[in-house]
Amino acid sequence: MKISIPPTWRTRIDRYRLRATRCKDCGRTGYPPSEVCRFCGSKNIETVELIDEKARLVTWTVIYSAMEGFEERRPVIIGVLETLNHKARILAPLTDILPEELRSGMEMEPVLRRIGEEGDSGLINYGIAYRPVLKKVEQ
Amino acid sequence: MNPEEKTGILGWGSYIPRWRLPLPDIARVWGFNPKEPEELNVFEKSVAGVDEDSVTMGWEAARNALKRAGIDPREIGAVWFGTESKPYAVKPSATIIAEALGITPDTMATDWEFACRAASEALRVSIGVVASGMVKYALIIGSDTAQANPGDVLEFTASSAATALIVGPREEAAAYFEASYTYVTDTPDFWRRAHAHYPLHGEAFTGEPAYFHHITNAVKGLFEKTGLKPDDFDYAIFHQPNGTFPLRVGRTLGFPKEKITPGLVTPYIGNSYNSSALIGLSKVLDEAKPGQRILLAPFGSGAGSDAYSIVVTENIVSRREKGVEVSDYLQRKHLIDYALYAKHRGLIDRIKG
Repeated sequence: MKISIPPTWRTRIDRYRLRATRCKDCGRTGYPPSEVCRFCGSKNIETVELIDEKARLVTWTVIYSAMEGFEERRPVIIGVLETLNHKARILAPLTDILPEELRSGMEMEPVLRRIGEEGDSGLINYGIAYRPVLKKVEQ
Repeated sequence: MNPEEKTGILGWGSYIPRWRLPLPDIARVWGFNPKEPEELNVFEKSVAGVDEDSVTMGWEAARNALKRAGIDPREIGAVWFGTESKPYAVKPSATIIAEALGITPDTMATDWEFACRAASEALRVSIGVVASGMVKYALIIGSDTAQANPGDVLEFTASSAATALIVGPREEAAAYFEASYTYVTDTPDFWRRAHAHYPLHGEAFTGEPAYFHHITNAVKGLFEKTGLKPDDFDYAIFHQPNGTFPLRVGRTLGFPKEKITPGLVTPYIGNSYNSSALIGLSKVLDEAKPGQRILLAPFGSGAGSDAYSIVVTENIVSRREKGVEVSDYLQRKHLIDYALYAKHRGLIDRIKG
């Protein structure tokens, strides 16, 4: 897979710290971050980081026909999660879990992982995947 | 006052991947003596997942250490990453972790190399830069997805894990340093040439002239410097290339088995190289009581060893619960077979898209 340097570099902190946009008018949080609120169109927004926030697994898909470059990761599991505090909906890869272990509503937490890479010589793309909560630690 | 006595460990944390390969599977595939795992006193080894590497593991260990330290990441003035399994040969791993944790840009950040003791040298240097006031806090990470030539005896133990320590002023520490000592020589016990996928080792050199000579002399050097003796320590943690060497070197130095086994993690996960001794320290800090004294002696091939005397403070009690403990990671495991391990570690030759 080809990784383009400029967008990878520009979005690195958004990806590493799971940045999202919280609307000060309607109160909803949208991910990924945007210039205007994706729910009400307001520009009265702030950036929040969701890296310390756990989430519930809403739904998922198990992909057996993964795209080129993801053969080692088959089956690729992609989940839709809702964070516990900001109620942001996040689409992200799920990791450290087998398809038969997936349960609707299970608590998961974000972790930094290799999301993609350009062969053996190109860039490595780091980003967030979700895994089952390892231990309940007071936040 | 030694520079060491002005500094201590504010936060500590480790990470172990979920996947474990039972060692009898390696013996079966490569036709080794089935008793080999028992002789090594290692029964399973941790294997990084396909989306993991020394950076992602180091990140999670550092997150645990940061939670326990309770400091603002922006106050960290050095991010030092010790590894022999860098995702990039050229491009620092330390900057990725520093950026992901919100430590950049006002910090030093670099990767250290000295086989398994790169992170330990960084730890000793961090004592100097913190004691001098040059930086307030330093983040030290030892992380490896250790490589071994398939079929080599090293494959039994080469594993994956990470440990991070935050070093800062003694007043804020959960455990402070009393003294430290380093012993290095040019010894060809283990090496990996540039562009080589796997390390080689001098069969007869790994034990006596390398591991035992350097650790013994580092610890004796610490004893001479401080007047301390084995009876003064509640725990002793040595580099753990297998489950027998630490017990043997401990016996030679006068430490009973009971002081070594609490920090002996290798029988359950293998040798995690730069995290090998440090994860032992991490596990001991998960259970040690205020006032207890810990001997830490990492080792790296090439070769060298550092010995540290560390005393636990009252702060340890409230910090322990703030991070995931080593025992939690030890319990979180899923066994895989040799085929899946081979895929995880990139041992299968294929054309990549």
